[in-house]
Amino acid sequence: MANSDTLERLVRRVSAQVRRRRVEHYALRGAFWGSIVAVVVLVLKAPLAGWALWLAAGAVAIGTLAGALWGGLKRTSTADAARLADRAWGLQDRVATVMEWANRPERTPLVESLVADTLARIERLEPRAAARRVVPRDGRFLPVPLAVAVLLALAPAIPVPSGRLPDFSAGAGEEQTEQRPGSTMLDDRARPATKDRLKSPVFEEKDFAARAGGTGAAMSGDLSAIFKDTSLSAQRPDFQSFLKKGDERLKLLEQADRLPDLQSDFTTSQYRMMFKKSKALSGGMRPDQISPQKLKELLEEMERLGRKGGSTWQGDASEGMEALEGGQPDRAMEAMQRALDKMRAQEEASRSGKNLKGGRESSRGGNSRDKRGGGGEGSGPDDQDFGEGEGLLPGKGRSNSPKGEATQRLRGNPYDVGVEGESRRGRKEGYDTNLTGKAGQMGSRLQYLGVIGQYRKMMEDAIARESVPRDFHTQIKDYFQALDER
Amino acid sequence: MTQDTRAQEFVESFERLRAEVEKVIVGHREIIDHVLIGMFAGGHVLLEGVPGLGKTLLIKTLAEGLELSFSRIQFTPDLMPADIIGTNIIVEDADGRKHFQFQQGPIFAHILLADEINRATPKTQSALLEGMQEAAVTVGGVSRPLPAPFFVLATQNPIEMEGTYPLPEAQLDRFLFKLRVRYPAIEELNTIIDRTTQARAVNVEQVMSGARVMAFRELIREVPIADHVRALASTIIMATHPLWQQAPEATRRFVRYGASPRGAQALVLGAKVRALTEGRFNVSIDDLRALATPALRHRIILNFEGEAEGIDTDTLIAQIVGSAEAVTAQGKEAFVR
Repeated sequence: MANSDTLERLVRRVSAQVRRRRVEHYALRGAFWGSIVAVVVLVLKAPLAGWALWLAAGAVAIGTLAGALWGGLKRTSTADAARLADRAWGLQDRVATVMEWANRPERTPLVESLVADTLARIERLEPRAAARRVVPRDGRFLPVPLAVAVLLALAPAIPVPSGRLPDFSAGAGEEQTEQRPGSTMLDDRARPATKDRLKSPVFEEKDFAARAGGTGAAMSGDLSAIFKDTSLSAQRPDFQSFLKKGDERLKLLEQADRLPDLQSDFTTSQYRMMFKKSKALSGGMRPDQISPQKLKELLEEMERLGRKGGSTWQGDASEGMEALEGGQPDRAMEAMQRALDKMRAQEEASRSGKNLKGGRESSRGGNSRDKRGGGGEGSGPDDQDFGEGEGLLPGKGRSNSPKGEATQRLRGNPYDVGVEGESRRGRKEGYDTNLTGKAGQMGSRLQYLGVIGQYRKMMEDAIARESVPRDFHTQIKDYFQALDER
Repeated sequence: MTQDTRAQEFVESFERLRAEVEKVIVGHREIIDHVLIGMFAGGHVLLEGVPGLGKTLLIKTLAEGLELSFSRIQFTPDLMPADIIGTNIIVEDADGRKHFQFQQGPIFAHILLADEINRATPKTQSALLEGMQEAAVTVGGVSRPLPAPFFVLATQNPIEMEGTYPLPEAQLDRFLFKLRVRYPAIEELNTIIDRTTQARAVNVEQVMSGARVMAFRELIREVPIADHVRALASTIIMATHPLWQQAPEATRRFVRYGASPRGAQALVLGAKVRALTEGRFNVSIDDLRALATPALRHRIILNFEGEAEGIDTDTLIAQIVGSAEAVTAQGKEAFVR
């Protein structure tokens, strides 16, 4: 290439600038770390004596020189220098393109035009710095270690602490005590020490020697000597009993399932609360004398508790509500009593396996007999509802509820509702359920085929109107298709 | 004629054509430039914007400024592929013998305006696919070449989605650029009012023939590109892919599919045209930065999170370009370190 010298000169110029910047950059970094070393050296000025200043100055100088050398030895490729020149003079990647394409065999005729254009622009360039100075982050903090180093150099040497531990031996303690006479408080503190002195020092020494396997002589700096004057020093360590106790505690923890459930204390059980409320409500009055509002509140509370799942009394509570709304308080009271019985049965069942007071097993044992006698521990006015069999299994209590086998009872009450189901085969497998009992004979208020059409139309509108991602359209439509096939 | 002269001629022709279009279209300088860049790069352009912004007028004016045939198809839901491509019809010759004769559709034109392209069904939209990619259509087993240069300019309305069929990704990828036509500024609006409400006819002159357009297309492909600029173009494309190891966080979070290699071709070809229009004989990083958005915005498909968060593709592309520059060590202090 005829005019390659111009381009190469430019690239060399930029490379030299980059090298200078690198020397500055790494020299600053080297100076920073060298001054850190200098600070450390000056901290240890006392042992190093007159050498410390020379060593510190040498560390700074060596760090700076090493950094400068490292920066100066780093190579800058021609392509990088060309790109930097393009950027520095706003040449829009002309130099880099020319450096790459000028000698390529597949160069196009436009490359000649590019070379000519680039050279013309280079001729017009004003000399200025292509690579700007980049101060390293650690270089910015260079004045800090330098200032510290100067201060340390001017300040007196820092004394170095000795590595010996203080002497805690008994003799030393006695000497200190003897040096402070005349203080009553000190006399009081010194009294136990005097008492301990009555013990045989020979015996104590023997114990320590046997345990540690040493010679028994308390050396200076021996920490075990601290315990010599305490009451513990007279006792032999018994690790076997300590381990035995630990084993017993671990075994106890392994039987966590047999521990009492303290969180669900029997005194705060749902049944207990409801029973108290019902007693407070009725108070020996006839059903027609009871406030319907309070009875309704109680039944609502029972129904709410029943909705939490796993309950059997929700139906009775609902029946009671219906009866109350129909102006039949006596039936409502009966329903409430049935619900209370079921709550109690469930409570007993849940507590029977935990050896808890009030559980079914314990109520059948000797404790229950004690309760019936009225003199047992924990018997009181609140426990009067725990008579044997009262409100427990069907046929044993005094409740007016239907008794006998569960299925029979279900059919005996026209308001009880059951659910029977069967699996469905087809394109979409599923499980169909039907209500039994009186409710099962009643027609649904919403016709399925009527509403599913409306829902499908709403779905189509929503997909068209709102920005639902396209991938979800198929899934949504499949879901409604599956509903339609039912 | 030297390359230098040809390049100079291209710049002059480009500027004259732009001036002719600007006789009618007020503002939208960037849109006009990108449409012309798309035409000289040999691609097709999709213009998106609300009705009344002058998309169709821009394309019609451009066709008037070129000595090229022009067709306009108004896409509707009942438009059929044969309405675009053409069909075989039975004709009777002088001897009374009947035979099939191919009746060309409106696609057989140099410049095709597909107005409101998203109103037609995907079947009809796909009738354009072969023509856009191969510059030929096949009817009755016979492939028929389209006139060169063949240039599709399509418009679509982004807000009126009732009764529209969004363009499939395969067809979107065939557009070199997707341009968003924005609302004019108040000064531009005043000029539009003056120009369009006065009794003064605007005469657009034809400044370029089809042969010259084809010659310029060849010239553009000769523009050299440096390795580091090409590497940046590739890195930008790769950075649109969420599975790429060095993809930026925004891509990994919000993108489902990134740009295809067609995106890289569009980016570099467009950059070459832009370089020549600026009187430069090489592609620069600035060209890639300027054209990354129109070349990639229709090629990046957001995932559900991106859609839900309302991520703007243009903003995402700006982040991707910045990340790609960092990956290719185009940072300011890269050389010193």
